[in-house]
Amino acid sequence: MHCGNFSKGPTSRREMLKKGAMGFGGVALQAMMADQLQASPNPLAPKVPHFVPKAKNVIFLYMDGGPSHVDTFDYKPLLEKYHGRDPREVIGELAPTQFDNVGKVLRSQWDFKQRGESGAWVSDLFPHLAQKKVIDEIAFVKSMTSKFSEHTFANYYLHTGSGLQGRPSMGAWTGYGLGSENENLPGFVVLNGGLVPPGGLDCFGSGFLPASYEGSVFLPQDQPIANIKPTEGQPDAQRRKLDLIRDLDQSALLESGFDPAVETAIRNYETAYRMQTSVPDLMDLRGEADSVKKLYGLDSDFKNTQTFGLQCLLARRLVERGVRFIELTCPGGNGDRWDQHRNLLDGHNKNCKTVDQPIAALITDLRRLGMLESTLVVWAGEFGRTPFAQGTDGRDHNPFGFTVWMAGGGIKGGASVGLTDDWGYKAVSDRFEIHDLHATMLHLLGVEHTKSTFRFSGRDMRLTDVHGHLIKEILA
Amino acid sequence: MTRSFFLIAGLLLFVLPGRAEDLSSAGGLEFFETRIRPVLAEKCYKCHAADSEKLKGGLQVDHRDHLMAGGDTGAALEPGDVKGSLLIESLRYKNQDLQMPPKERLNAKVVKDFERWVADGAPWPDEPVPLRDSAGHGEGFDLEKRRSEHWSWRPVIRPVEPKVSRETWPRQDLDKFVLREIESAGLRPAEEATRRVWLRRVYFDLIGLPPTPEAIESFEADFSPDDYEEVVNELLASPAFGEKWARHWMDLVRYAETYGHEFDYPIAFAHEYRDYLIRAFNADVPYDQFVTEQIAGDLLEGPRRNPEEGYDESILGTAFWYLHEATHAPTDVLANESDIMDNQIDVFGKSFLALTISCARCHDHKFDAVSTADYYAMTAYLHSSARQDYPMDPGRGREMAREQMAGLKQKADLMLEAAGMAETVPSSQREGVFEDFSAGEIPEGWSSSGAAFAGSGQKVGVRFNSESPLSIPGTIDSGLFGKAQVGSLRSPSFTLSSDRIFVKARGEKVSVRVIVDNYQMTKFNGLLFKGIEINDIDSKNEFKWMTLGGNLDKYIGHQVYLEIVDSGDGDIIIDEIRFPNGNAAPPGKVEAGEDFKVSEEVLAVIRQGEEMVTKLSKPRFAVAMAEGTAEGAQVHVRGSSRNLGEEVPRRFLTALGGGAGDRLDLAQQVVNSENPLTSRVMVNRIWHHLFGRGLVPSVDDFGPMGQPASHPKLLDWLASEFVEQDWSIKQLIRQMVLSSTYRQSSSSHPDVSPGALAEVDPDNELLSRMPVRRLVGEAIRDSILTVSGQLDAAMYGPSIPTYRTEFMTGRGGRKSGPVDGARRRSVYGAVYRNFLSPFMLTYDVPNPFGPKGRRSVSNVPAQSLVMMNDPFVVEQSRLWAELIEESEGTSTEKIEGMYLAALGRPPSGEEMGRVQAYMEAAAAAGSDAEQIWADLGHVVLNMKEFIYIY
Repeated sequence: MHCGNFSKGPTSRREMLKKGAMGFGGVALQAMMADQLQASPNPLAPKVPHFVPKAKNVIFLYMDGGPSHVDTFDYKPLLEKYHGRDPREVIGELAPTQFDNVGKVLRSQWDFKQRGESGAWVSDLFPHLAQKKVIDEIAFVKSMTSKFSEHTFANYYLHTGSGLQGRPSMGAWTGYGLGSENENLPGFVVLNGGLVPPGGLDCFGSGFLPASYEGSVFLPQDQPIANIKPTEGQPDAQRRKLDLIRDLDQSALLESGFDPAVETAIRNYETAYRMQTSVPDLMDLRGEADSVKKLYGLDSDFKNTQTFGLQCLLARRLVERGVRFIELTCPGGNGDRWDQHRNLLDGHNKNCKTVDQPIAALITDLRRLGMLESTLVVWAGEFGRTPFAQGTDGRDHNPFGFTVWMAGGGIKGGASVGLTDDWGYKAVSDRFEIHDLHATMLHLLGVEHTKSTFRFSGRDMRLTDVHGHLIKEILA
Repeated sequence: MTRSFFLIAGLLLFVLPGRAEDLSSAGGLEFFETRIRPVLAEKCYKCHAADSEKLKGGLQVDHRDHLMAGGDTGAALEPGDVKGSLLIESLRYKNQDLQMPPKERLNAKVVKDFERWVADGAPWPDEPVPLRDSAGHGEGFDLEKRRSEHWSWRPVIRPVEPKVSRETWPRQDLDKFVLREIESAGLRPAEEATRRVWLRRVYFDLIGLPPTPEAIESFEADFSPDDYEEVVNELLASPAFGEKWARHWMDLVRYAETYGHEFDYPIAFAHEYRDYLIRAFNADVPYDQFVTEQIAGDLLEGPRRNPEEGYDESILGTAFWYLHEATHAPTDVLANESDIMDNQIDVFGKSFLALTISCARCHDHKFDAVSTADYYAMTAYLHSSARQDYPMDPGRGREMAREQMAGLKQKADLMLEAAGMAETVPSSQREGVFEDFSAGEIPEGWSSSGAAFAGSGQKVGVRFNSESPLSIPGTIDSGLFGKAQVGSLRSPSFTLSSDRIFVKARGEKVSVRVIVDNYQMTKFNGLLFKGIEINDIDSKNEFKWMTLGGNLDKYIGHQVYLEIVDSGDGDIIIDEIRFPNGNAAPPGKVEAGEDFKVSEEVLAVIRQGEEMVTKLSKPRFAVAMAEGTAEGAQVHVRGSSRNLGEEVPRRFLTALGGGAGDRLDLAQQVVNSENPLTSRVMVNRIWHHLFGRGLVPSVDDFGPMGQPASHPKLLDWLASEFVEQDWSIKQLIRQMVLSSTYRQSSSSHPDVSPGALAEVDPDNELLSRMPVRRLVGEAIRDSILTVSGQLDAAMYGPSIPTYRTEFMTGRGGRKSGPVDGARRRSVYGAVYRNFLSPFMLTYDVPNPFGPKGRRSVSNVPAQSLVMMNDPFVVEQSRLWAELIEESEGTSTEKIEGMYLAALGRPPSGEEMGRVQAYMEAAAAAGSDAEQIWADLGHVVLNMKEFIYIY
């Protein structure tokens, strides 16, 4: 092959073989090519789902820290009545809490009203979400539970179905099950508003799945990921270098006996090169109408609304580009995430102001573009908060019953399932666990959660471990 | 009752042979397996299965026949009849007297599932009916049967070397085993790799670095009979060997320097373990010794000493137990302990034995010969041990100072006695006293580390502190031999029964703490553990009662011990420890010698001793294990720490003999030559690292769910060879890399048709050629530093903090380290669990959460982006270019030099032409020479040949 005649296009094994460089017969050639094609699959290539999917993409709105369900969506008039009483007297025996600083029964600091045609109870914290056209798209699960009352365990559990560090995140499982529809962007993107949840980037890891399924953390800024900007001053300088690399790599192909891994590694350079363009293109909002930017709150007087608005808009743009799983984390500066152990009033006001308008805009905009029916939007924290105070003006972690909601692809808007007790303390009816949330999400994507397995450590591992029931009541 | 019940069950099976089949429509069975059986197993089996401890109500629900036969209240199941099935009635919770499960009502959806299942005829797959044996255990788990059936439990028997037809091909005996399989498959081995290909291969495999141009030239010119062997010996003797092979071991023990979780608190001194590994691999410590040290290095009577500095090497190995993740403020500290132990046993089981012992935490192992009792018997070793910050003693100065001071003390004590000092301690035992140290020595059951803590005896004597020169009889004193001595003291463990513990002591800058269920995080965060640790005590030179209390009341009934840590320039004299008896703390003892004037002569001896300790070097600590109070462990029924079962003593796995004893006895059973796993597992790991794939590909799992051996005889031959050669890792590696198998080219033999090869051995399991392998992340980075001339070969010491990009945010973040990692080898880069190096992660360096003997090898565009645009790579290209520009020679020679340094070969003529054409084009586009060389360096680092070995 070292004939000085270097081909310009990406030289594939197929071409090399066609040129007859190997000098063996047609039958063997075909056998090797077939072998070849099997041996180096692109792990992110689209895969066939188990059944017809309702949704193609997921936007997971992760409410880091644990929003208070009794102040947002789970209306409990009894808290008003017993406000200020000792919870051990009126509620009964309490489970240990994270900070062991149990105060009095604490009523919601915000008024609740029924909204939309569904009549869903929403507090004044979410005026945008409460609009009729938005709220009626949403289905609530008011009886979600977690196994853990510490952030880290609960975060891993919410993200990976296990309290242990280092298991694959749901976004990684989605990529593993379905592949990606865009070669030039990762299949699992985390739009980081500023806060990485307790437990760190392992919440978005690929665990024992191949690294290509790991969540790529994008920051909402010009250069959203590391190493995406060419270091060469002029664009053609890099192209010249890449051409040289490709040409010189022919020797690696030959010397390795046309090893499929080497071939893939060569091919990756072309994808990487295109990513350098596709990522900035994603971030370039010049094509978005001012009305759209305004809808998302990019002109808000509150900086965090702008940030989360940009994240929501980018999430929509990622869906447009075929990215399978998009997770949004919250901006900082609202009083330690949603984790209001004290100063609930101020913290939740800021957190809701941050996410309310952008999320409402996201749902509105997706519907406007006809994308809502194929996009699953999920809103969840790792747990809820206690109906009694921590100290005087906060609430502690409550994994025993809290609210999550979903909207979009395959979801019955306006539905609600499950109940907590009259205090909002523990789920009592249709109690669900995180595994059920995962099973339902995968189901909507066309993946049967019991069948999407990966052999590790002597077991066929699943996102839902040995658990998981569909939350049928909210399915369209 | 029971007997007739079994008769019925048997009859049912007999008379209805076709029944199960009729019902087993695929959908129905799947519904059963996914919706019904898991619920039965989770919610009912505890009381209603063949292996239930006690069968409740005479009912088993682990087979359809049992359900139909029923229990004390009659048949539980009438297939097809929802209303008539007691099972459903009990689940519905409507009948006050029949509610199951007893403590929690099942989700309404789950109950509906059961109704549907019964209505559909209760499909159940055709499977044997589990019966209870006389001991009450199910027949589903037969440990002995499993042990006898699975290959890896069988003894290692050295096989006879096989006959081969290509008799001249084998260079090593192991080659015969490989060749035999190749020939049996009708294939033939590949041709020999060229010398330079072999050289590059063996360099990376043995030391993780590329050969230098000088090494390449010298090898190419050397045609002596021992040419290959000399290279191998040189590499095995290189300090870089240990740096490469230590990293493989670090993958197994989830090596990290922080605890992860919310705040990523530091695991201080973890790097001492990394350095221990590097030294151990370089010293070729026999593998049985190496394993023993990790399991029980603290218990060895004659520990291995560091040859230069004399400190105890063996104990450093025990740090592996404690490199787990950990969280602060667990609301259930016992569950937290169980999770940590699960991880510790997982690492132990997989690393040394390739056994998934942890799978038996909640139930007997589903596939392997490991019982739940085995698992909990293993946890008993952990319950019987304690974590410590062990004071190392480089130069053994501390040990020697104490010995010499003991001699001085004897002399001075006699002088005191002669001068009339005769105060003694009254012996006393009072109610509520945990320990009053009246014997004046470290009591039975207590353990101490380091040279600080000593009993003060029963008579007044000297202590080596001229400001307070008289010892207090009947105490333990960490300053007896000078304030600068360091050490720790641990009490026996006990069940906490009071909300406070009083400690009467005098001292400063020492910590006193209660360790609850081995929970170690209070020093970082007191949440939920307030008041159970007093740091830096300061009693203002008088005895005081200190109170450990605060949150202690939460932990009454838990297993605890006390730990007193003197890790710096302080001391403590502990007089008494007691529990509250009423409210009053007891009065102090009369303190001796207050008005006794110590003579100048005695003071001179004391000062002489004091001087010895002030000259000591700064203390150095390592994470280590210490022996605690021997305890059994209670089985956690179904893995729940809230549901305690029978107590099991500490012992090894039943299938491997099940011998009792302490941790050292455990270690000896692990390395006993009768144990078929330890040697097989390690030779397989080494094979995996050299040939890209283990003879057993699932290197961490030799169980039934792992993969079978491709060359079982070779595996056993290597294992027995390994033991015969005194477990020498270097000798084993030498044999492998000097073999003809290893010397093959990575292209199959030209006479082997690719079609036939694809048919017979598509995955190259038979090794009829060497595999093409991508370098690991560490080797890629280290190679870049090597070719750029930047590598700092300094060894050991604290890790270089990870370079933090703006994308690495989160709690507990540390200051960023330099982008070039201080130019040290990658093994010296810090491993912060929540802030792992993106470069390393991109190239599959594992997340440290559990054993990972086989790294994944991903192949993704993110790797290209790193090599194209990462500031580290770009900067090193530029530094390399500076070297090249400064070197002598024509530009052709310079290009040749670059190829040789980075790829181990000169460029071909065509390549040279292409490179020169590039340089001209770049110059024409306006790049200056400096930029062109830097760009060319960058191009070479981006060639696949740079990161692949053939």
